[in-house]
Formats: sequence, structure tokens, C-alpha cells
Amino acid sequence: MLIVYSTLLMAILGFAFGTFLAYSAKKFEVKEDPRVEMVKAALPGANCGACGYAGCEAFAKAVVAGKVTPDMCTPGRASGVAEKIKEILKQNAPS
Amino acid sequence: MRVFLILFSALLINNYVFIRFLGICPFLGVSKKLDTAVGMGFAATFVLVMSSVITWFVNKLLVAAGLEFLRTVSFILVIATFVQFVEFVIKKNSPSLYEALGIYLPLITTNCIILGVAILNAQAKYSLLEAIFHALGAGLGFLLALVIFAGIRERIELYELPKPFEGLPIALILASIISMAFMGFQGLIKL
Repeated sequence: MLIVYSTLLMAILGFAFGTFLAYSAKKFEVKEDPRVEMVKAALPGANCGACGYAGCEAFAKAVVAGKVTPDMCTPGRASGVAEKIKEILKQNAPS
Repeated sequence: MRVFLILFSALLINNYVFIRFLGICPFLGVSKKLDTAVGMGFAATFVLVMSSVITWFVNKLLVAAGLEFLRTVSFILVIATFVQFVEFVIKKNSPSLYEALGIYLPLITTNCIILGVAILNAQAKYSLLEAIFHALGAGLGFLLALVIFAGIRERIELYELPKPFEGLPIALILASIISMAFMGFQGLIKL
């Protein structure tokens, strides 16, 4: 019985807070450059920091802002990540 | 009257940073600049007060159901929710503060002051009002600690220190000296 109650209670709490967060995420949404999301999807996502940035997201932001060249991603070098990023940036260049 | 005793006790006499040595990670991490220190202090205070209100009700629920062993898990859930909420708000309203706080903003979740206050509230069986004032005192105490420390650190940056003391070592020495100063408040109020 104890297990049922505790599971139930945690499920209700989790659901309530999840709903609250989902609502506030929509309410406080920040419009980001859609290219950042695309570049991030092309990266390996290891968050290794070899590029000198705090993670893949920070690197993607820097690439889109033009602060760094796309070929700085060391783990993605073998699978041609740099070419993919260049392709994304070329196709979605702001007019 | 008792609530003000609790407020000042948490703020000065049992200052969470200098006397109880909780929340040292953000205390050393974001005290390099005064404005980020103030932002961090207010963010932590907001999370503290909001989470102590919710955890007070959650604790009542847990005690009523005889599930006190779930205290830590459910309190962390509440705290994480509010930290995430604060992150949304800061990201929307103040991107520069969001950048400056960086990893320390989500790390408020693991700030021991916040879990510590929630658990101390539950253990001391505080009423809701007392719990809110306890959290407010703890938050303002954290803000005070950060502001004092950031002010000193900004100034110490300008001096030429012996090489081994540069950066964190001198910060730790300073923290210990301020901590000793705060010990002077001991015995000011008998609670």
C-alpha cells in the first residue's frame, strides 16, 4: 500500500509541476535564430568542449553569429560536420 | 515578533554562507562581479521563498500520508521546478544576466541552502509564515554574503598579489576572514 501511495503522490506532483513548466515555457518563449537549432542538430552532440565553447549549443550560436569557422568541431571532422554546417548556413542565409 | 527573530537569525547570526557553510559553490563562482552577484542573490532568494511555500504544503501532505521518507525527493522536485521557471524568466527578460550567470543558474537547484532551508523548515515544524520569513532571511543572507564578497573581490583584483595567492586562494582566505567577522554576531539573539 505504501508503495502505491508514494508512487501516486510523486506522479501527481511530477505531473502538476510538469504542466506548470510547460505552460511557463510557452509564456516566456524566446525567439531564437532557427539556424542555431539546425546547426545544433548537425553537430555530434557530445558536448565535449574541444571547440573551446561550453557545449554544442554555445558552439552553434557562435557559428551562426559568425564568430568562429564551422570546422572547429573535432569529433565531427570524420563525418563531415563542417560541410553540413556550411550547407545549412548557405541555404538559410538571411536575405 | 518571533518571525523577525527567525528572519534576522537566518540573515545574520546563522548566516547560511558564513556560519553554516552552505551554498559555497555559487558563493565562490559568481562573486567576481557585483552585478552578477546581485542577480544571483535575488534569483536564489526568489527560488528560496517560492519553494519554501510549496514545500511547506508538500510536507503537510507527506506527514498526513505517513510518507516522510519522500521529503528529499519531492523537495528537490519543487526546487528544480522553480529554478527552471526562474531560468525562463531571466532568459526572456535579461539575456545579459542569463549569459553572465551561465551554468550557475541551473546549479541553483543543487544549492544546499535551498534544500537545507526546506528541510530545516520541516524539522523545526515552522508555521507557513515562519517558514517564509526563514527562507527570506536565508535568501537575503546569501545576497548579503555575495554582495560583500563581490565588492571585496572586485577591489582585490586591482592589487598585485603574490603569485600563489592569485584568484581562488585569496578568495578563500577572504571568505574565512569575513566568516570570522560574522561569528561576532553569535549570541546576539537567543532563540
